[in-house]
Amino acid sequence: MANCLETVQVSKLFGGLVAVDKVDLQIPERSIYSIIGPNGAGKTTLFNCISGYYTPEHGAVRYFGNEIQGLSTDTIASLGIARTYQNIRLFKEMTAIENVLIGQQPRLRSSWLDAVLHTGRYRAEEQEALDEAHRLLKFVGLGGMGDTLSRNLPYGAQRRLEIARALANHPRLLLLDEPTAGMNPQETEVMKHFIHGLREQLNLTILLIEHDMRVVMGISDRITVLDHGMKIAEGSPSEIQSNPRVIEAYLGSGTEALTEKYRRKKLQ
Amino acid sequence: MKRNDSAFKSGLRSGSTFTIIVLFLVLIGFNASGSALLARLFGQAPLSGQLPPVVYGLVFLALLAIWQGASSTIASRHKGFHVPWLSGFSSTGLAGLVLAVFILVFGSLYQGGADFRRTLYALSPAYIKFLSADQSPVNGALINLFVLLIAGGIAGLAVVYLPFGKLWKQVKVTWLRFWNMDANRSLRASRYFKFGVYALLVLFCFFAPRLWGSYWNYVFGLVGIYVLLGLGLNIIVGLSGQLVLGYVAFFAIGAYTVALLNAPVPHNLMWGFWPAVVIGILLAALSGFLIGLPIMRLRGDYLAIVTLGFGEIIRVLLKSDLLTNFTGGPRGIQDIKGPSLFGFSFSSDVDFMYLIILAVALALFIASRLQNSRVGRSWIAIREDETVAQASGVNTTRYKLLALALGAAFAGIGGVLFAARNQFTGPEDHVLMVSINVLSLVIVGGMGSIPGVVLGAFALKGLPEILRELANYRLLAFGALLVVMMIARPQGLWPVGRPSLQRPEPESPPDKPEESNREVTHG
Repeated sequence: MANCLETVQVSKLFGGLVAVDKVDLQIPERSIYSIIGPNGAGKTTLFNCISGYYTPEHGAVRYFGNEIQGLSTDTIASLGIARTYQNIRLFKEMTAIENVLIGQQPRLRSSWLDAVLHTGRYRAEEQEALDEAHRLLKFVGLGGMGDTLSRNLPYGAQRRLEIARALANHPRLLLLDEPTAGMNPQETEVMKHFIHGLREQLNLTILLIEHDMRVVMGISDRITVLDHGMKIAEGSPSEIQSNPRVIEAYLGSGTEALTEKYRRKKLQ
Repeated sequence: MKRNDSAFKSGLRSGSTFTIIVLFLVLIGFNASGSALLARLFGQAPLSGQLPPVVYGLVFLALLAIWQGASSTIASRHKGFHVPWLSGFSSTGLAGLVLAVFILVFGSLYQGGADFRRTLYALSPAYIKFLSADQSPVNGALINLFVLLIAGGIAGLAVVYLPFGKLWKQVKVTWLRFWNMDANRSLRASRYFKFGVYALLVLFCFFAPRLWGSYWNYVFGLVGIYVLLGLGLNIIVGLSGQLVLGYVAFFAIGAYTVALLNAPVPHNLMWGFWPAVVIGILLAALSGFLIGLPIMRLRGDYLAIVTLGFGEIIRVLLKSDLLTNFTGGPRGIQDIKGPSLFGFSFSSDVDFMYLIILAVALALFIASRLQNSRVGRSWIAIREDETVAQASGVNTTRYKLLALALGAAFAGIGGVLFAARNQFTGPEDHVLMVSINVLSLVIVGGMGSIPGVVLGAFALKGLPEILRELANYRLLAFGALLVVMMIARPQGLWPVGRPSLQRPEPESPPDKPEESNREVTHG
């Protein structure tokens, strides 16, 4: 299977700080790929390098074989890469349906003159965009709530609306930055099924940053672990779970000694 | 007992602010202007430089006191004090007492021959006499105290004992019942109703300029030009969120285009008005585009400062000796030839009013179409969160430049009309204050709201023209209005809601996302 996204030795520096250090990723098409790691490991920075917010100092980001590092974010969006944000960033004063309409921007062609004159092209396109927005809202479970201001939506709905906005672009690669952050176990479970369904029905490739291990282990095909900007492990969920370097990164060194101590205490 | 005491005390507390306001108004001589305004309402306008009849001064004070008494009583009632009207008495009573002392002191001093006009400019002997109601200082002081105390106290009592709340509710219910009557509803829904409203509007716009005389044509023409400017700046600031403070530059470019092409003095080109309109709009749009290129990366304060500089540069250039031969220098350009069409020349103010109405109607149409299209949506998205808008695929550079160019074009047509109507334009027509005025009217009307722009233009350009009495305090009133607006209605006079795009759902919406997954087939 072809690789949807590849990063080759990508590094991002902030002054003297190496936020992402020579990371290689190979993400096959139609896979769900997770990036995990402790706080400050450089996961979101890597995301920003892929989606065009940052230009990596070294290395290359390849999307279906074409290098995309250094392109502006709107160009990257129009290539078919869409993302969501760790802290929800909707257009708060706009309605839910308008948020989804903005997401369709890369596919719309009519100009401002069309808009003023209401030409046939403009009306047809607007109609189509509205249809699509209604369908997407329904798809994420927000049918009938299109006219609600997005800041008035409940938290879980805002997360799903953000995904709907990303999907409106008809992406081939979807970057989800902690989609279940701040959700209760029930909502998390729903979101997990939802993400799985996305891949199945829309033939998407999904790159995921997530802290909730039940989600990560439940739906990922492959997992990469970052720590201090470096890739410390890669593999299937079961491989990652038993990798001692991963445990060390999450719990700190000397963990074995600690667990040993607890075991002895229990025995006493 | 303790609770009554605190109603009294809370009245004193709010009254101290009120006292300061009253004293301030008296010190700057605002009393005279305010009461002259009242006098004009009753057809007894004073001659210029003279004071209105004394009664109006007292009525003016009484009105202030009524407002204060009512509001402080309402506040006390909210806090749950036992005898809330006490605070009405105490707050205005405090003001009355201080004012009485003021009049007593200054009145006696003036009687003794002292003169304070060097430091307190407004306090002429005539004004002091006006304040003390043409009486001796003692009597004048007592009258003022009495008026303030009684007016405030009665207002407080009225708030407590008259059923204003119920009355208001009754009016509202009746109105809603009328508004939602079946006949009324179907009337509003019908197509003919809309056409009828438009037809009435057209008829009004046709006949009104002929009927209301040249003074009102002048006032409303100015309002119309400011509506044009406001619509343009609304696109730039209200929709795309770029704080541009040098907006007057585009206005100047429009005005000078028509002036240079149609005046005898600097160049004697005489190309006619209509080509000048087109060139003026295009030049303004082009300058909007060009100034946009270097400032695309700036946001917020930096953008404001840079564009402020741009506006000043244009004004200083127009004024400079260097370009005197080209732009007419500080003296400006006179005798700009007005428009003519098929041999018929638009010379009268009525004809010009029609032209302005036409331009405003066209501008309203274009602005509302743009605002409700995908272009307007993209602008609002940029205003809300520029980085996310770009990451969602909005070409922010292009849309921001488009906003600047279109907004500048609106200012261009405004400038063309302004210069051609006055048959004169000079550097002093294009000062920073114009930009500030337009920005204020956009903010007061409600950012991004088209009806708000129209309302704001009336409030900020029409009212000051009508309220001539306040001319000296225009800036003061301006500042006060903005402060009050920001506190009372931060969203503007007529804030705009988002359009309704949701279609009615045929069945109840599914609760869980996975149930509806089957319906999507793209990919």
